[in-house]
Amino acid sequence: MLALLKRYRELLLVAALLLVPLGVFFAHAKNPADRSPLDRAILWLTTPVERVVGWAIRSAVGVSEGYVALRGAHARAGELEREVERLRLENQQLVAERLEAERLRKLLGFAETSPERTHVGARVIGVRLAPAGLQLLTLDRGADDGISRMMPVVIADGVVGRVHTAYAHTADVLVLTDRNSSIAVRVDRTRARANVRGVGKTDAARLDYALRTEDMIEGDLLVTSGTDGVFPRGLPVGKVTKIDRNPHGLFQDALVVPAVDPTRIEEVLVVTRWERTGDVLPAAYVPEAGK
Amino acid sequence: MKPLAHVAFALLVAALQVALLRWLGGGALPVMLLAACVVHQGLHGGNVDGSVAAAGIGYVLDLVTGTPKGLMTFLAVLVFVLARSVSAAVDVRGRAAFGLLSGGAALLLSLGALLLTRYTSADEVAPRLGLVPRALVEAVLTGLAAPALLPALRRLDALFHREEPGLLR
Repeated sequence: MLALLKRYRELLLVAALLLVPLGVFFAHAKNPADRSPLDRAILWLTTPVERVVGWAIRSAVGVSEGYVALRGAHARAGELEREVERLRLENQQLVAERLEAERLRKLLGFAETSPERTHVGARVIGVRLAPAGLQLLTLDRGADDGISRMMPVVIADGVVGRVHTAYAHTADVLVLTDRNSSIAVRVDRTRARANVRGVGKTDAARLDYALRTEDMIEGDLLVTSGTDGVFPRGLPVGKVTKIDRNPHGLFQDALVVPAVDPTRIEEVLVVTRWERTGDVLPAAYVPEAGK
Repeated sequence: MKPLAHVAFALLVAALQVALLRWLGGGALPVMLLAACVVHQGLHGGNVDGSVAAAGIGYVLDLVTGTPKGLMTFLAVLVFVLARSVSAAVDVRGRAAFGLLSGGAALLLSLGALLLTRYTSADEVAPRLGLVPRALVEAVLTGLAAPALLPALRRLDALFHREEPGLLR
């Protein structure tokens, strides 16, 4: 028996390496978000690399747009051409800075319009939008900055997702287009309720549990209803498109174009505290005083 | 020691991939460079250290892609076995062939993960077959990018290469 084991030990090892993970997968398939302290520690090791690469690319772009490009222009052209190049470069930098300032102003404006909420601003330093796994963005702020699991993440255009895991200095955000993301919404025009669920694509989601009898048209804006206890109410989530009203059944199907494109996000706000108010009727439905 | 070094290298590659993709299309372009690391193990690793390294790389894949535990580990060892079978039948030396195999491995990993997750998930969270085109794009991009990893993988192997004493006697 021992001789047999010795003879086939390599084959047995490979078979064990195949079967044990498969068993672990079937045991953990229902809890994909489970991460042990060891898993967290290993993932934590990757964050310095992400930070360094981000810093290196930002610096390289800055250097190439500034000193190197200017020096190259000097070598290639005469005095006048050099002056034009420098001005053009300055203009590009100003445009880039203006765009960044506009984005930040928009975020700040969004934060100031909702004083009942407190926010933490963060930059996106990594993306994981592979079709096979979870769709995650890595932020450069973490638990040390007051961020914890399930906190809503937004930008001025609308909902980005929620915090999936918070590490000491970074946090992973599960974006709204992930298959495991489900957000309770209302149709802004008619107040009809539904859920927006991701389908794993960055540019689409689907509408679940929208009653067939509800009035809904393509282009309707969907906003968070606040009933899921995760997102504050009234934040834009997306727009309804491609409605399919089944002749039978309780619900109608529809696709949703998310208000936010997760591939273009650079800065976000994490809502660290917000007042969970009751489900208030919109102004149009409030009866007038005295009647 | 060699499998551990390959797993550490895979972790570094995963971190670089995550950070670089943020600057290259913001994640719109999916790539799975770790598939190339597994294929390299299948082509150049031994049965024992190669399979252990493949399992370790699969574990790293599980962590960075957020798939349920064990899924990518299983698929990575499966890819290792398949790559080993291919190398037994065909002599894979060139960069193009390595890229082709890596692209195939990425496709196998993605489709395997989709199908197994689909099999075990509740219907409403199960991945749809609409993700297959994105998996194909991922395979193509991985195939194109994989040859760039080959020199680093060879250099890593060379660190652990020892001449057998007395071979010429």
